Amino acid sequence: MVVPLGAFIAVSAVLFFIGTAGVLVRRNAVVILMSVELMLNATNLALVAFSRRFSSIDERGSVFVVFIFVVAAAEVAVGLAIVLSAYRNKPTVDVDEIRQLRG
Amino acid sequence: MIENVWLIPAFPLAAFLIDGLFGRRWLHKWTGIIASTAVGLSALVAIGVFLEVLGGRARTTVTLYEWIGVGDFHSSVAALVDPLSSVMLLVVTVVSFLIFVYSNAYMEHDHGFHRFFTWLSLFVFAMLILVMADNYLLMFVGWEGVGLCSYLLIGFWFERPEPYVAAKKAFVMNRIGDWGYTIGMITTFLVFGSVQFTDVFEHVGIATQANLTLICVAFFFGATGKSAQLPLYSWLPDAMEGPTPVSALIHAATMVTAGVYLVARSMPLFAAAGPSLAVVGIVGAVTAIFAATIALVQFDIKRVMAYSTVSQLGYMFLALGVGAPVAAIFHLATHAFFKALLFLGSGSVIHGLGGEQDMRKMGGLRRKLPVTYWTMLLAGGALAALPPLAGFWSKDEIVAAAFLGGYPVLWAVGILTAVLTAFYVTRAMWLTFHGEPRDHHLYDHAHESPAVMTLPLMALAVGTVVLGIAIGFPPEAGFIHRFLGPVVEVEGLVEHAPEAATILLLAGISVAAGVLGILVGLSMYVRHRPDPAAVSRAAGPLYRLLVNKYFVDELYDHRIVELFRAAFGAMWAFDVHVIDGLANRLGWLAATGGSSLRRAQTGIVGNYALTIVAGLLLVLVVYGGYAAGIFTR
Amino acid sequence: MFDLIEPALFALLTIAIVAAGAGVVLANRITTSALLMAFTFLNIAGMFVLLGAETVAMFQVLIYVGAITVLILYGVMFTPQSPRPYGLFFQTQKYWAALFVVPIAIFVALVAFSFRDSATVGAKGGDLLPLATSVFRDFAFPFEVASVLLLAAMVGAIVLVKRDED
Repeated sequence: MVVPLGAFIAVSAVLFFIGTAGVLVRRNAVVILMSVELMLNATNLALVAFSRRFSSIDERGSVFVVFIFVVAAAEVAVGLAIVLSAYRNKPTVDVDEIRQLRG
Repeated sequence: MIENVWLIPAFPLAAFLIDGLFGRRWLHKWTGIIASTAVGLSALVAIGVFLEVLGGRARTTVTLYEWIGVGDFHSSVAALVDPLSSVMLLVVTVVSFLIFVYSNAYMEHDHGFHRFFTWLSLFVFAMLILVMADNYLLMFVGWEGVGLCSYLLIGFWFERPEPYVAAKKAFVMNRIGDWGYTIGMITTFLVFGSVQFTDVFEHVGIATQANLTLICVAFFFGATGKSAQLPLYSWLPDAMEGPTPVSALIHAATMVTAGVYLVARSMPLFAAAGPSLAVVGIVGAVTAIFAATIALVQFDIKRVMAYSTVSQLGYMFLALGVGAPVAAIFHLATHAFFKALLFLGSGSVIHGLGGEQDMRKMGGLRRKLPVTYWTMLLAGGALAALPPLAGFWSKDEIVAAAFLGGYPVLWAVGILTAVLTAFYVTRAMWLTFHGEPRDHHLYDHAHESPAVMTLPLMALAVGTVVLGIAIGFPPEAGFIHRFLGPVVEVEGLVEHAPEAATILLLAGISVAAGVLGILVGLSMYVRHRPDPAAVSRAAGPLYRLLVNKYFVDELYDHRIVELFRAAFGAMWAFDVHVIDGLANRLGWLAATGGSSLRRAQTGIVGNYALTIVAGLLLVLVVYGGYAAGIFTR
Repeated sequence: MFDLIEPALFALLTIAIVAAGAGVVLANRITTSALLMAFTFLNIAGMFVLLGAETVAMFQVLIYVGAITVLILYGVMFTPQSPRPYGLFFQTQKYWAALFVVPIAIFVALVAFSFRDSATVGAKGGDLLPLATSVFRDFAFPFEVASVLLLAAMVGAIVLVKRDED
């Protein structure tokens, strides 16, 4: 019995929204970055699922995933750099406390 | 020469510019000479134009340039040269010239000398534009211009409060009249499609009676403002606050005649609109007698002359109303001469007495100011319409036209006013020049005026004596009738050729009226039979009424001005509360809106991320709705 | 019986992924979150293998479990926080977030099942050859650009973290 494509997509969706919830709910900036990684992984899963299931027609989903790896890595690096330099300013990574740009 | 008719206003305009720009610092006394020379040159050109028109040149339009051409509306800066305008040009320039010369000496010690001639030159320019214009719009330019200069010159000595108050009053009353003129002009355009005289007068037939009456009444209302008739007359006596040459030129000879000129020029319209001529005539007659009664009891010599001017202008409108426009223009011309002479003579007296204007302080001055006395005597006689002086010919023709035209009531009013006129002029002359001097200090220092002032007096006196016979004799058939008749007279308006006997009879009654007035005056003031003081005590309330000018000014102030003040107060409140309130509310709205919306900027990044997710939810709802068929395109 | 392996593995991996993911968001200690995140990555790699994309799975392990987890752990190490009660782990907007996210999640998850497989069965065999062909031939230029991106990110990160030396 073959696992239906929809199942993979459902898993991807659930993981994606867990990640979204993490971004919106947690205070710690590093945890937020982790949640963003979860979201990226979810999209990777969805892309690969489509790509492999439809590989007789189009294999380019996997290629896109490779590039997502690259970008995700770069993003984590820069994101952490920002968090660290903010931490140096004021020793907190609590996003609720960083609001100097309040209008 | 007619082609050069535009030189006539050009000279005073040049004088205005030169005197205005350079007069204060460099030209000093030369401003007067420049201005007088300019007007003199204009007078020469005007004489040339007049002679050419006399020589049989037909009506000509000399266009300077196309001024306004918008859609259907066209107006050019063009001069209409015909007998009527050439006569007016002549009168205006010649009398102005004499007054300009006179002013050189009269205003000699005034520190505003250059300013005086600047405004006076501008005035002459505007008046000439008014008289020369070939359409109502250009005429209005001159109309407004003379109103402006009147304001500037009445308020010439603005350091004192009375002159500038009087100037404001004159300007505002003129403006009220101008409203009438504007309505007339606009209606003319709407009805006839043009404001050019020739266009309008040739097509009078296409307008309805109602339209024509509206136009004529509106124009006449404007004329009452400019020519000081009821109800817009009260500015003229107050205008005597200005220097005497101003009173002579503007408020006797030229500006105030603009209304008469307007009606005379528009006679084709007035003749076609039946009731409007009646209005003109009645208003003129009532004003004439009304003003004459006030002049009986005034003590300021200039005030007497001012009310006399209002009264004589009433005669001119009376003439227009009964269908004798030639007589009106004739009287305009003669009145210009003798009234200017009366004013300049009064100025000479005032100058000789060092500024005194109250006749109660004068007396016996004929020994001290002989030239002034004799010239004023001639002018006074002309005002009282004694033959063979000029005033007789023109005034007699007016009252005769009233009688012959079938208006016996107006004729009677005219005769009665003539009696009053003769009386008050006799009274004025007697109080000033005869009897015993009442103020010896003034009398001792009184002196005759210099030649620069007395020569114009003498020149005007010549005109006063000669003009009537020269151009108005024999009555109804003189030079001026042949000259102006074709221009202003409209078919069927005037009864033609009465018998000689009727004419003589009417003339005799006019003369008798004048003589009666003089005799009563002499009797009262020479022999004190009855004594003037006793008469005024006996007349009591009537006397007070007259001295206070029928309380017209107070009436206007309380009823009309207060009404406007209340209206303006309401408008001001509206402006402050409603309009400013609206602006303030809008500002408050912007500020409050901004500060409310600012609360979305929390500075917390998580909130912004939440907003993105909320947007995602919204997008899903919308697309889901379309997909599920809940929303339809 | 062998037919049931695939669905069974799938079910196992699903449970692991969802549980670990929830753990990342809800864990008490940050290090627990980080390690659970790594575990999620591993399970995702398993999913890739289940789909037949071994190369991608390998990359996943190398990059995510290897590099990114280490980065995150470094980040955790350099940002110590003072201990605080568990309630304060969550932002003040948590209720709003729940309000928005839960409906979407349920909706999308349900919709996900509407995706159908293609009629023709997917290619057998690994994905190495197709992937390599695509990346180094069809998408060579984006590949190069990606390296430049990495370089820029590296430089940027260094610049951001640099202390201002006097």
